[in-house]
Amino acid sequence: MEDTRQRIIEATYACVARWGVAKTTVEDAAREAEVSRATVYRYFPGGRDELIHDVVVWELFAFFGRLYDEVQGAESLEAVMERGIRFAHRSIQEHEVLQRVMQTEPETLLPTITVESNRIRAAIAGFLVPYLHQHGLAPGVDPDEAGDFLARMVLSYMGSPGRWDLDDPAQVSELVRGELLAGVVVGPEPGKRPD
Amino acid sequence: MGPGVRLRVVQGELQPDANMAPDASPPTGVPDRVSPHRIRIVDAALDCIARQGTAKTTVDDAAQGAGVSRATVYRVFPGGKDDLLGAVAETEMARLFSALGARMGAAEELSDVLVIGIVEAVTRITRHPALNYMIAHEPDVVLGRLVFDESNRLLATASRFISPFLIRWMDPEEAARVAEWATRIVLSYCIAPTGEMDLTDPARARHLVRTFVLPGIRALRVPDRSQPVDLVPIAADRAKHTGRVHQVDYLQTYSTNTTHSEGDVQ
Repeated sequence: MEDTRQRIIEATYACVARWGVAKTTVEDAAREAEVSRATVYRYFPGGRDELIHDVVVWELFAFFGRLYDEVQGAESLEAVMERGIRFAHRSIQEHEVLQRVMQTEPETLLPTITVESNRIRAAIAGFLVPYLHQHGLAPGVDPDEAGDFLARMVLSYMGSPGRWDLDDPAQVSELVRGELLAGVVVGPEPGKRPD
Repeated sequence: MGPGVRLRVVQGELQPDANMAPDASPPTGVPDRVSPHRIRIVDAALDCIARQGTAKTTVDDAAQGAGVSRATVYRVFPGGKDDLLGAVAETEMARLFSALGARMGAAEELSDVLVIGIVEAVTRITRHPALNYMIAHEPDVVLGRLVFDESNRLLATASRFISPFLIRWMDPEEAARVAEWATRIVLSYCIAPTGEMDLTDPARARHLVRTFVLPGIRALRVPDRSQPVDLVPIAADRAKHTGRVHQVDYLQTYSTNTTHSEGDVQ
């Protein structure tokens, strides 16, 4: 049963990659997944809108899954953040479907991204807080507040690099050391790997 | 307005006017683009947007609200509604930056400039009636400005405005970086406010600036972090005499001098 749901999601994604979000219909998704229209509606009672929303969420979670894998082996808080930012930036730049949709029909993604952004921010903060404890927080810094601040900033740079060249490891290192961690953690030395 | 910074609209983009002397009077011989009706029409459209959003607001609504004819609106905004909406956005940005400039220009300490700027910006943005209507009823219109390329443009525009207020304490390159950083902070907390970090509250904003922002400025100023850094004005001596620094002079000084000596940054 979950296999069918998953097949419909992947089929819909294939349609979006080919034709864009606005032109993808329930019929397209059904045909691509080789199921009936009724089956699609059984899994996605909200029809097209629900289907598109779930595809975006699915791809978002897949992205954060890859990001999580990427930073798993990092040996310090700095390394987690540097690797994470570089990987996220590269993934977004190289994500052909995302790039095309953002250029031609960004409005189709915005509702979902907006709704999910609080959850994403909380997830990033939750991931970082143990590293902050491990590394040692600067005096008077609240770990949850720091985690939330870092998550906000990471999302900001991921979405809009602005004046930073996030393909350049030296710049990413400077960014992490300065705008992200300077006030948050103790000492100039890289931290140790959390056990 | 803050000292020495005026706003000029250039091809739809707002830029600090570095060519204008700080205390010069407004330019004469303005292009006919500036009609006496222009600001009234813009304000009428703004009122409509606050009541019914951009989608439902028509050229007729704006004309009626401004007490001018439809033909007049089209004469001032030949592109019609799109032109008008662009002018509304541009005007509100200019007003925001102008208010920010007035407040930040009067501050004496770097931390005050940042705190005052953040509080003023977050307060004005989160309490803006038209913006609030749009966020509630047509969020796509607002959010489209806040992602990817659009957002990079917004960051660049904002940091061009904010950085002149910071160059009293740092060189222009660093000022541009910090200005962009502050803009990110404002945008993030405006888009997704949290109860604990209400940045319309000066005490919370000061806490955030002290905890996260000032250490980041110090860290990047001294690459090896081997010595403590005081964030004192670059031109403290001059500021002492005049009470204020003509920031435009500094922009021009630095722009002609790409490699400034280490001694510029205390």
